[in-house]
Amino acid sequence: MIGKGLLKGLGITFKHGKEKNITVQYPEVMPYLQERYRGCLEFDPKDCIVCGMCIKACPNNVLSLESAAMPGSKKKQLVSYTIDLQYCMFCNLCVEACPTNTLYFTHHFELSTAERGAIKRIYTPAPGTPVADGESEAVIIPPEALADQVDTEAEAKRLKQVQAMKGAISKGNSKVLAKFVDSEEDASLLLIILQGDEKKQDKMAALMIDDKDKARKVATAFVAKEKRDKAKSEEGKQ
Amino acid sequence: MIKTEPYTINIGPQHPSAHGGLRAETIMDGEDVLDVIVHLGYVHRSVEKIAESRTYAQFVPYTSRLDYLASHLPTLGYVQAVEKLLGITVPERAEYIRVIVAELSRIASHLIFAGSLAIDLGATTGMIYCYRDRERILDMFEMSSGQRLIASYMRIGGVSHDLPDSFYPAVESFLKDLPAMVSEYHGLLSGNEILQARCQGVGVLSADEAIAYGVTGPNLRACGVAYDIRREDPYGIYDRFEFDIPVGGSGDSWDRYIVRIKEIEQSGRIIAQALRDMPTGDYQAKVPRIIKPQAGREVYHRIESSKGELGYHIVSNGTDKPHRVHVRAPSFVNLMALPLVSRGGKLQDIITNIATLDPVLGESDR
Amino acid sequence: METIFINIEEFLTSWMVGMGLAQPWADLIITILQWTIIVLIITVNTIVLVWMERKVSGFIQERIGPNRLGPFGAFQTIADTLKLLTKEDIVPARADKLIFKTAPMFFIIVSVMLYAVLPLGNNMAVVDLNVGLFYFISLASLSTICLLMAGWGSNNKWSLLGAMRSVAQMISYEIPLVFSLLGVVMIAGSLNLTDIVTAQNRVWFIILQPVAFIIYFIAATAELNRGPFDMPEAEQELTAGAYTEYTGMRWALFFLAEYTNLVAVSVLAATLFLGGGHGPWLPSWLWIIIKTYLIMLVFMWTKWTFPRIRMDHLLSFSWKVLIPVSLANILVTGAGIELFRWMGW
Repeated sequence: MIGKGLLKGLGITFKHGKEKNITVQYPEVMPYLQERYRGCLEFDPKDCIVCGMCIKACPNNVLSLESAAMPGSKKKQLVSYTIDLQYCMFCNLCVEACPTNTLYFTHHFELSTAERGAIKRIYTPAPGTPVADGESEAVIIPPEALADQVDTEAEAKRLKQVQAMKGAISKGNSKVLAKFVDSEEDASLLLIILQGDEKKQDKMAALMIDDKDKARKVATAFVAKEKRDKAKSEEGKQ
Repeated sequence: MIKTEPYTINIGPQHPSAHGGLRAETIMDGEDVLDVIVHLGYVHRSVEKIAESRTYAQFVPYTSRLDYLASHLPTLGYVQAVEKLLGITVPERAEYIRVIVAELSRIASHLIFAGSLAIDLGATTGMIYCYRDRERILDMFEMSSGQRLIASYMRIGGVSHDLPDSFYPAVESFLKDLPAMVSEYHGLLSGNEILQARCQGVGVLSADEAIAYGVTGPNLRACGVAYDIRREDPYGIYDRFEFDIPVGGSGDSWDRYIVRIKEIEQSGRIIAQALRDMPTGDYQAKVPRIIKPQAGREVYHRIESSKGELGYHIVSNGTDKPHRVHVRAPSFVNLMALPLVSRGGKLQDIITNIATLDPVLGESDR
Repeated sequence: METIFINIEEFLTSWMVGMGLAQPWADLIITILQWTIIVLIITVNTIVLVWMERKVSGFIQERIGPNRLGPFGAFQTIADTLKLLTKEDIVPARADKLIFKTAPMFFIIVSVMLYAVLPLGNNMAVVDLNVGLFYFISLASLSTICLLMAGWGSNNKWSLLGAMRSVAQMISYEIPLVFSLLGVVMIAGSLNLTDIVTAQNRVWFIILQPVAFIIYFIAATAELNRGPFDMPEAEQELTAGAYTEYTGMRWALFFLAEYTNLVAVSVLAATLFLGGGHGPWLPSWLWIIIKTYLIMLVFMWTKWTFPRIRMDHLLSFSWKVLIPVSLANILVTGAGIELFRWMGW
């Protein structure tokens, strides 16, 4: 009979009218999240071994890291780690790729931010944290200190080179100077000038290491001046 | 003498029943439909092009976003295609896990279908009941993979996690309640004379036309063609399960609805068998970290998605990134039958037809 | 308790006459007062009804419904009204402005005018018209024109489709509606609503006229444009039908008018079929309220259960089922009355 189905439908809706509600009152009652729930992607700097597997696994270039060489070792240490969550698909690939469980998902899911920049998370490891490679006693060195250290090293290397150059000049090796002037003749001329003047010798040696172009200019100028002086003195003699 | 003239009306892309971003340009004479022109591309995200700049493993999460209503099925098709390309054998346990979550996805997708049909016809409560039951499946997905909707659970060579202990009681209680759920849909929706009147004889697609248009999946089976890739060309371990292929008769909207409701029951049967036979062991095969298939190899793999034949054509060029990935999306092909079935009907029939052809615009636009 | 409102009215009249006001002036003031009260009742009722509709749909769908503002979300509708009042009033550039702007006003005026003859208790009709039922039906059919105005004035295809649907639907359903009421009129022997209530002293007409009640209920649902017959609005097909282009308070007026009509039709059903104010213990006006709300609950229950019917099915249902059945009902009623008279009851 037509209408029976309609009445049955009415009966079903009536029956459900008395049942318990299934709504979760979200802001007051937090939803029950399963253990594997993938909320916010988090990073724990102290476990990172800077292997870069996560960056290779990420399909959407969410992750990036900055690292620095560790003094006295081939290993790297972390300077900063960036998770740009706005591009994240929460696909779990980076977490699976990570060998040390440094990356993990939390149950925190309220990720809205008032500004776009705030969704980008940058992690910098605290100085003094042990480097996570399981063996060495090394600790994370703060980036500024690391920069100073790098400077002194480079400075020492440079000084060494300058000393070598000065040695070459005082020994009368005109070949090193040939690169900075036009001819062999000029080179030997320059050698004589530099050997005669200690100050000029220091300055030239340093310049030759730091800035080759400038050194070339200065050297040519020295030679040209010397030639002019020579010509003048010869004129005076005459 | 009153002169009438046909007029054009746009159903979508911003329309309550447009199922995402579908635009059906409809030429009408009063309430009668003269023609429908389907415009696509409002949800185009160039997924196929993205595949060319991602490694084989990195593309997995993107495939979930094709058919987001049954997110395990498109990922399953993709990872199986890559496994075919590389010749990887997947551990037994992983195969069973895949079958369970894939069939749960199919149920979830069909529940969305029934719910959206209900709300497109104006029965709001029917939708809420379907979504309420689908929620339990999403909870299971959250248990297994950690994500509810776009799970990206499949990995090349297996699945990302083993099933947790809490998953088994959940799925068993769901299977136990499934007959009651289905009978409730029958009571509230199928038994309703108004819904019957709106679906029966509406949007008739004959078997010949369906085959000519390349329509697959439940839409084809509703026309009476018992064609199911799980049976015709079994992939994975589908040849081990016993299940019926529900078919319709006349190919109208009513058959498309009933076939899907019956498929929910059949999927329940498959899950029960898979749970019974599931072995212990590994859930992931040993797969090299960097996947570099031989240059010039190509593979086409198809699965029975909840919408129809979902195929992946992958061409390798010897690098770690595919040269080309083509997705044969069932929604796209099925949607092309919309003008055919809607011509000569009423405006309200278009809404029914869109709902029963069950397109997912994320998949058809890609 | 029974005559509390009538006593207040009489007291006010006599007080005004005692103050030296002429009788006609006192009557006029009382009439204005009555109309003000009716408009107040309508507004408050709508606020309650919107809240009730949401709660009922929530219960049916296992949700909670409004629950933030006030106890059980009771003030939610007030907040919504405030929001609608502050909304921008958009008039489409290509609209027929005069028709567009006046349509909602006409709609609400017509709806409020229905209340003139409704007895909201014993002897509590504003105007005790001897053709009250006739007046009600003729005014109720005017709302078609308002919807047509809204649809045409909006200059939008969806709106026009909705308006055309509403015209076809309301004209088709007017006929079974009137025919279903004829049976009641024949038994009561009067078109006056107060007389009809008095005629139900012994037995309610729902028992004598069950078929007429069902036809009335179905036809009234269609007249009210409520689900499953909400063709003119049909949000899944016509986005919002005739109301598509309306915003803010103009749209709210349509909403208000729809709920006003819902109450009016329910009061009429209570009056004609459920014995009006008759009932034990409680005063008559309270009985009317209880019966009206029960009928409205059933209206809501059906709306939230059923899908929307198709337009051509809707029309053929009216012409092929409801009208013949209601005609047969009239025939049976007439024969029954003659039979009873012949038997000497």
